[in-house]
Amino acid sequence: DAKKYKFRTMRQSLLDAADVLDEQIDIFTEVIQKHHNLKASDIGDPTFQQQSEVYTVGRIVADSVSAEGSLNVDSLAIETSRSTGIGRRIRLNFEKVQDLSVFPGQIIGLRGKNANGEYFVVEEILKVPYLNFPVSDAETLQNSQITLNDQAMKVVVTAGPYTAANNLDFSNLADFVERINSSIKPHVLVMFGPFLDITHPLISTGNIPEFPSLKQQPKTLDEIFIKVITPILRRINPKIQVIVLPSTKEVSSKHAAYPQDSLDRKYLGLPKNFKCFTNPSTFQLNEIFFGCSNNDIYKDLKEVTKGGNVFQRNRFDRVSEHILEQRRYYPVFPGGIRTRKIEDKNGKPIFEHISGADLDLPYLGLTEFVGGIIPDVILIPSELTHFARVVQNVIMINPGSFIRPNGGRGTYVEMSIEAPDMENEKMTKVEDVYLHNLWKRSRIDVLTA
Amino acid sequence: NGMDTLQPLETTISDKERFRDSVPLELSCPNCITKFAFGGIVASRYYRCVYSGIQCSNCDHIMTPIQVTSQVERVIRAHISLYYAGWVTCDDTTCGNVTRQISVYGKRCLMDGCTGIMSYKYSDKQLYNQMLYFQSLFDLQKNKLQTLKPLYHSGDKNEPEKPLSNSEVQALAEQNRPLFETSKQVVQKYLSDCGRAYVDMGSIFDFMQT
Ligand SMILES: [Zn+2]
Ligand SMILES: [Zn+2]
Repeated sequence: DAKKYKFRTMRQSLLDAADVLDEQIDIFTEVIQKHHNLKASDIGDPTFQQQSEVYTVGRIVADSVSAEGSLNVDSLAIETSRSTGIGRRIRLNFEKVQDLSVFPGQIIGLRGKNANGEYFVVEEILKVPYLNFPVSDAETLQNSQITLNDQAMKVVVTAGPYTAANNLDFSNLADFVERINSSIKPHVLVMFGPFLDITHPLISTGNIPEFPSLKQQPKTLDEIFIKVITPILRRINPKIQVIVLPSTKEVSSKHAAYPQDSLDRKYLGLPKNFKCFTNPSTFQLNEIFFGCSNNDIYKDLKEVTKGGNVFQRNRFDRVSEHILEQRRYYPVFPGGIRTRKIEDKNGKPIFEHISGADLDLPYLGLTEFVGGIIPDVILIPSELTHFARVVQNVIMINPGSFIRPNGGRGTYVEMSIEAPDMENEKMTKVEDVYLHNLWKRSRIDVLTA
Repeated sequence: NGMDTLQPLETTISDKERFRDSVPLELSCPNCITKFAFGGIVASRYYRCVYSGIQCSNCDHIMTPIQVTSQVERVIRAHISLYYAGWVTCDDTTCGNVTRQISVYGKRCLMDGCTGIMSYKYSDKQLYNQMLYFQSLFDLQKNKLQTLKPLYHSGDKNEPEKPLSNSEVQALAEQNRPLFETSKQVVQKYLSDCGRAYVDMGSIFDFMQT
């Protein structure tokens, strides 16, 4: 519900934040209890010394409040909810666990024992069940089939930045728009910000170059968007549906927190074939559910790992599974921050804040998967190398940056999705509805932008 | 303790008092990369307001409007992002816990045995005042009345030799009207989304009702 994102920013209450953090544990306690057929009384307080094993659910945290950065398997603790352990924390001992990948902010279910009052020895990490996949009835699928005229649906995905770090030259974007219109010709184009990044080095120094094509130079950054970027975007063929998601680094968004309100289409002068969506957002194209989030979880989720089986797997797969399991697009807490080392007046090194995940904690509920289902495809741009992978039958995509910081061409993603065909063995019928099985029906190419 | 926390209406507080904790607006000259604190149309060793804008005293470069407004916006966004980094701090001076971890009880300190109360290190009130401070620097009325928070204490080594004359300030304010109004709008863009601004309105009415 897009209206819920219209909240005013810069007004976090610590108590509201704490309510959300507590609630997350309570929600998963119920999920884990149900899935493992446990009684409410089986869930215990791990912070107490006990003779017997207990099941418990809590949040993975660093065992020291001053711990920033690198954690290891010996420096973790679990935080209990108000109802399970009056919010107390206890150090975790993972000696008996062979393979693990955990991270701060993760809600986890454990079986184990606190024999000495000092730490909780984990015997087993309890599986958190995945949410259900979306399904469609025959009529919906038939409608998709008719709409697409049995042709594949083509969806193109791009993510900012759209200029190099040493200029504000949008000519590559302009060229791309030409290719979109003349050769790529998608049904839908999903574009992630930032279009104009507030942390761009030239903006930090006020070193805004002249725009030779403009008679009157822009006086504000918003005017750069409206006078320079909008005219390029307006050239996209109006028959192509364009979906725009902001970034918290987007200049033209005054809502600089995650979850984030959509950009103002009219103010920016974007035409009617543009839809400005919130960050994150879930939407449907025909029967298919798209989950989109523009907050770099692939960079910010710093796992603590153990065991050969874990290392052999692709890190993007592990992080994707964490996202699916935690049922929200940015499960890390505290969120990532980017700082820069500078010297203060006395020559002492200090850290200057540059940017971050900018989590608005009381509203984190808006970053959870919508409607109790897993989207068919999840798009999360990252600074890290582009990828498209099938994880637990969900297509996870990082399209990569459109332009590299040094100005080199980046990447974009082209998805070609076969129209649904109920006669086809690719669809799975479950009673009177069908699983979408998008991963069986899609071809995904990561291409040079 | 209702009486202890009773504050005068915010509008009656001088900018010097209200912006006591606000940090200066640091601009960088795009030509010679000298950094300086911008304090409105006031005397400074590092910049001067001239009829066509803000001029760097080191290299005489006059900044274009976008060179000013882009930096104002960048600085505001850095403040908002720092606010959202969510640093919290313990009020017990013997503890001094500063962290980004938050207990499920919010205000409880996570240090063993500490009974201190946690609160945001960068409070929404501070952020709101910081933005009001940036706005004041481009407020023509306040510039003309010369009620801005001073950039320097008397005795600072960077203190300018003498202040601008009243007639200079009046003339420069009018000559720079478009630049100042545009810059003020950039600050206003963020104030319009700031929850604190609306809460303050509410609390004024609460005050009048009781
Ligand atoms: Zn200069
Ligand atoms: Zn404390």
